[in-house]
Amino acid sequence: MDDDSPRMDIGLVGLGEHGETHAEFLEELGHTVHAVDLDPRAKERFRDRYDATMYEGLDELYAAGVDAAIISTPNKFHETAALKAFDAGLDVLIEKPLAHSFDSAERIVERAEATGNICMCGYFHRFRNRCRLAKAYVESGRLGEVTHIDARYMRRRGVPGLGTWYTSREIAGGGALIDVGSFVVDLVLDFYDWPELEEVIATTRSDFGDREDYAYLEMWGEDDEAKMYDVEDSVTAFCEFEGGRTAHLEVAWAANARRRHEYNIRGTEAGVSLDITTPLESVDPSGRNHRDFRLYEARSDVVDHYVDSELVPPANDPFRDELATFLAAVETGQSPDRCTAREALAVQRVVDRIYEAADRRDF
Amino acid sequence: MSDGNTGRGGDRIASVGTAFRILEAVRERDSAGVTELAEALEIPKSTVHHYLATLADDGYLVAEDGRYRLGLGLFTLGATARTGERIYHVAKPNVDRLAEATGEGARLVVVRDGRAITLYQAVGDEVDDPPTYAGTIEALHCTAAGKAYLADLSDERLDEYLAATTLEPRTPNTVTDPDELRAVLSEIRDRGVAFDDEERDEGVRCVASAVSDRSGELLGAISVSGPVDRMPDERFRSEVPSRLRNVVGVVEFNTTYSEWSDAL
Repeated sequence: MDDDSPRMDIGLVGLGEHGETHAEFLEELGHTVHAVDLDPRAKERFRDRYDATMYEGLDELYAAGVDAAIISTPNKFHETAALKAFDAGLDVLIEKPLAHSFDSAERIVERAEATGNICMCGYFHRFRNRCRLAKAYVESGRLGEVTHIDARYMRRRGVPGLGTWYTSREIAGGGALIDVGSFVVDLVLDFYDWPELEEVIATTRSDFGDREDYAYLEMWGEDDEAKMYDVEDSVTAFCEFEGGRTAHLEVAWAANARRRHEYNIRGTEAGVSLDITTPLESVDPSGRNHRDFRLYEARSDVVDHYVDSELVPPANDPFRDELATFLAAVETGQSPDRCTAREALAVQRVVDRIYEAADRRDF
Repeated sequence: MSDGNTGRGGDRIASVGTAFRILEAVRERDSAGVTELAEALEIPKSTVHHYLATLADDGYLVAEDGRYRLGLGLFTLGATARTGERIYHVAKPNVDRLAEATGEGARLVVVRDGRAITLYQAVGDEVDDPPTYAGTIEALHCTAAGKAYLADLSDERLDEYLAATTLEPRTPNTVTDPDELRAVLSEIRDRGVAFDDEERDEGVRCVASAVSDRSGELLGAISVSGPVDRMPDERFRSEVPSRLRNVVGVVEFNTTYSEWSDAL
């Protein structure tokens, strides 16, 4: 955001870790933060850390003259917060996933469109320079026709705050798939330019959640008392999209495998390997944890040979760029070119289809 | 835990208290005659008769063959009282699902005046004739829900409870020693789950977990109970507790965010 951009009043709904990250960037950029949560513990922690005006409820916050709302409540409560914001004429950035269920996500998109407000969803990896560049290579045709994407987001022992709402089907809408897997679905759909999903075969597993000997080596989210755990901690899916294009998705909060977040995009002319593995607890703007980002080709000058080219874009902070994009959209009234509510709804649809396919196999 | 003392001292209207003592005494007996109540409550027979006649006249008692039982006027009050409890609305669908998933009896229990009150009950396919119903009152020390509740009390409140309560035996398994009960409650605090292993009724096992809101206020407990032959150790100690923790966690989040989850 440029220094001469206007300072805005932003309403934060949901004051957990994501809410705090937004608050930090907003304060850095000189915006005024207005905040609400119904969880007294979250409110108290937030009040201690940030210079924000606190509100008792959504109506009060939305009536306080804020320019936009950022929603990062538990998934199940996105809808109420978003619909009320749209009705109050506010543009909204919603943490991913859009909602805990496809139906809820659809109601959010319909209300956003009916009221004519901007609705953006926080699939921030799309703002990562590496991902933008990979997408540009796909679009430029340098890879030929992309026919398969092998995607994996695997943590070794990274169940988010085992026992918090992330591990409750009713509150989160699912487990590893709807949490980190939705990032993978978002990027794969984007690389393929938002195709229809035709077939899917999937399996979900819950191998770690109930284990008393679970080793907390990595953790996202607050370390709450372990209460809920009724979701999957890993998923394997094979998707076939229109035109016969395919994707293999591996997603895990916990698995006995190397931690990685990577995409192998295979085209008829060239392929790209994109590694955006990050330490669990950060967005990692430095990029120093990323390994491979290469273009794989074969040429026939003099002798047939391989060409492996390293791609070296500057590192950036995608979370911050996402927020800046949202704020610019609020300022101009122009919907952003990425992470729109419609795209997020398409992600939710595929997530839903994968769960359906896995459920079918359970019987 | 409310102690039932209004704090009004001398402002109490004695006759209102008497009327409710009579209603409670009738409930304990399912039905009762004038003489029986007069003796039990140490109130002159003619006085008891006036109370009973007035309460029957107003629909709160039913006179039948010279005996009295509770009237549906009380049911309308009770059912209405329940709808005023937020926890009832938030927990009900989850208690229903718990009963369906386990096939057993699932209950939402709250504590008032030192008594465990079943606020809502759902039964699964396995249950023919549930031993409890909405409105059932039980002692705290011999039930899983009661113990889950006691385990969440502060030391001071627990001392008060133990000083004021005789731990009556209901079965050979009932914990009647205060120190033993303290040890059991400490275990419950660690595990987040309370067990009743044939401590209230022989042949019945029950598992419960306390429900608090996010500010830590204790709202009640949710329990699952079934006969011993359908509750072997693995199910009793592991499977049901795990289901229960999921449900209680959901109820606690839904309670905290109830304003944001209501249909618009």
